[in-house]
Amino acid sequence: MAHSAAGKLQGLADEKIWYEVAYLTGVTHALNTVADGLRLPAEFSPSVRHLLVALPDPADGEADLKTLFDEIRAFYAVDQVPAVFRWMARDPGFLQSYWQATREAFADRALDRLTKEILAFAASMTAKSDYGVDFHLREARRLGLSDRGLTEAVEVVHLFNTVTKIADTLGLKPDFPARPTGERPHV
Amino acid sequence: MEIVHVTEVHELAPEDQKFCEATKAWFKIDFVPKMSRVLLTVPEFGRPYGRASRRAMSDGALGRAQKELIASVVSAINVCEY
Repeated sequence: MAHSAAGKLQGLADEKIWYEVAYLTGVTHALNTVADGLRLPAEFSPSVRHLLVALPDPADGEADLKTLFDEIRAFYAVDQVPAVFRWMARDPGFLQSYWQATREAFADRALDRLTKEILAFAASMTAKSDYGVDFHLREARRLGLSDRGLTEAVEVVHLFNTVTKIADTLGLKPDFPARPTGERPHV
Repeated sequence: MEIVHVTEVHELAPEDQKFCEATKAWFKIDFVPKMSRVLLTVPEFGRPYGRASRRAMSDGALGRAQKELIASVVSAINVCEY
């Protein structure tokens, strides 16, 4: 709460930004929950995980599914469809819709795609998601995150994992009202 | 429920009260956040923590606004009401 409000004071007053942050945080957390819950191996680093479930083979799908897989591969610039999307392909209709939502959540809009991947990395690290850290760190780097930028991002994650737990331990109530002026959001 | 008395600015050491004024300017607000006062309640902890925080949150390879967004995401994942 405090840092949403603090962010609004740092030139982040456009509510579109906060909707985008919310969408990407929700999607990231959900994908990580599924991937870690099913023990899907990390995509880009060594993993000792063993799959709990069978994943559809992209080569076995219908034409529509292959088109969808091509789009996912192109979006992430990977040769293999990430396992979390292969899992969803067990229900192609679900994958079709959820992928569209995921793609839009991470598209360049008020926030650029690199910033969104940095935020997804921060969300994954905070949630201790092996799959998400591996996935979003690779994406952020691919999109241009420098070593210095990575250090800074992790420092912020480090600091705010400190203060959130101090606040929770002491039961601190927010300093800021959620919407200082009380007006309804523009949708 | 807050389980402690959150230290008021006037209860802090004079040099920490000055730091609180700088915090108000940093956040562009007219009050001192509870967290700043909580951290400085034990100055041996709060002063170095504040230095680390100020260093990490300044513009660098990432902008301050990006860093505030990261902070918000961490708070959301941790379901931190504060």
